[in-house]
Amino acid sequence: MSFEKSSTPRPPVDASVVAANTSFTLKAGLAQMLKGGVIMDVVNAEQAVIAERAGACAVMALERVPADIRAEGGVARMSDPKMIKEIIDAVSIPVMAKCRIGHFVEAQILEVLGVDYIDESEVLTPADQVHHIVKHSYKVPFVCGARNLGEALRRISEGAAMMRTKGEAGTGDVTEAVKHIRQINHEIRQAAGMSDEELYVYAKDLGVSYHLLKDTARKGHLSVVNFAAGGIATPADAAMCMQLGCDGVFVGSGIFLGHNPEKRARAIVQAVTHYNDAKVLAEVSTDLGPAMVGRTVESLKETEKLARRGW
Amino acid sequence: MTKKMVTIGVLALQGAFIEHINHLQKAAKSAKSGSLVAGVQIKAVQVRTVEQLKSVDALILPGGESTSISLIAERTGLLVPLQEFVRIKRKPVWGTCAGLILLSDQASKATKGGQKLVGGLHVRCQRNHFGRQTESFSCDLALPFIDPNDPDDRFSAMFIRAPIIDRLLDSDTTDNFEALSLSDENVVYAPKLEADSDDRTLVEVICRLPKTLGSEADDIVAVRQGQIFGTSFHPELTSDVRLHLWWMEECVLPYLE
Repeated sequence: MSFEKSSTPRPPVDASVVAANTSFTLKAGLAQMLKGGVIMDVVNAEQAVIAERAGACAVMALERVPADIRAEGGVARMSDPKMIKEIIDAVSIPVMAKCRIGHFVEAQILEVLGVDYIDESEVLTPADQVHHIVKHSYKVPFVCGARNLGEALRRISEGAAMMRTKGEAGTGDVTEAVKHIRQINHEIRQAAGMSDEELYVYAKDLGVSYHLLKDTARKGHLSVVNFAAGGIATPADAAMCMQLGCDGVFVGSGIFLGHNPEKRARAIVQAVTHYNDAKVLAEVSTDLGPAMVGRTVESLKETEKLARRGW
Repeated sequence: MTKKMVTIGVLALQGAFIEHINHLQKAAKSAKSGSLVAGVQIKAVQVRTVEQLKSVDALILPGGESTSISLIAERTGLLVPLQEFVRIKRKPVWGTCAGLILLSDQASKATKGGQKLVGGLHVRCQRNHFGRQTESFSCDLALPFIDPNDPDDRFSAMFIRAPIIDRLLDSDTTDNFEALSLSDENVVYAPKLEADSDDRTLVEVICRLPKTLGSEADDIVAVRQGQIFGTSFHPELTSDVRLHLWWMEECVLPYLE
């Protein structure tokens, strides 16, 4: 028998015994399994294997990393299914892929390809200027970006089973990711100190459901796993996001556009596990060669900022 | 009188370790007076270093990505201490999902190029047995503490890109490491240790998938071999803490001095 993944899926058959496959617990549960891990952007099977060997807990398959999308411009879309399939066949860890904001047909295609998570991503050019995808009806779980609590709770209402900060992808500048993590933490703390009367008003201001806001305030954190993303380029960047309270990190352009990708990838993986241990962080930060050159977020024109996409 | 403290570690390299810590604490609180668990004070801690591993009486290897956990363990210098913990010191351990893979003597459909196992549990498990995330599912399991005559007594288990226990291996592991075909299914093997030869504990099947699951019926999803317990599902993702309580009562406390 050959090593053929597509030959094995044999889903349970009896619906009366098996809870619905769309059960949100299963979708959010996979994100829980990714916690404390690093999800790496890869553009081909070869990079996916390097990422897996470096200890990535999942890979994000896309045609161009965000820094190249910035440099080359043009419309950025879902990747070619051929490339996604090659990556799925090359690694045993979960494979994620991006669809455009609001592009529910790209999402349908990614679901049948067998990706394990879909990122409805502002890094690609939005397909709908008003609506996001209604994510409840899919079997495959979705991750979405957010800059603040309002965005995060709107995405969760639509069915997102995992969140990430938007950051400013493809810059190598972590400042926006830090801003978004702090913003969400700040707004949750504010909500946690509010009376019911105040929460009704705050829910109206944020444009979210009162019940979801109240539940989040009571828990003191988002009801789904929240990763840092956008501009993370070094082990120290990753550990900083973890110390600020994120559950794990996405690294996009930072790895394969830097010097010695495999070593940098391994270092970031160790940094996310040992994020509170400065000795380990010093050790893994040593001799990695230059990080990606990047661009400061300050130098971007407003129209170049990807995080503004999504509503 | 102060109760004896029992420290249970959860391997915190990657994955869903906080969930297990919370479940252990809740389970300890739910123990009925007179039970073994109620007679001790349970402390649940995260384990990331060799020093932390030395300080615990028992260990849970949580769900996560088995490839990541094993690579991080190796680079943190924890792989050999873990093998000693499980197979030489024979302390109580429980692996869930990725943790089960790590505790198995053999794993098929492993990462190409190999992944390292802790070993100790004489089974071969198959990774991602059910397929990809869209094949993840939940179902009720007839675990030992469930009353079969009470239809309302249910334990809902989450299977997320889950492995299954493919075959039980002979407790004499001498054959296990070489004889079986290793070419096509990407089978990986835990390294042999001297101490393995005097371990004759048999693997006991604790639970199989229910008959109603069609082609998957009877697949083995929970096994126990003395102080080693393994489950392919995630009891830490629901609010039910009974399996954690059962584990401490049956598989941990009886094995401690």
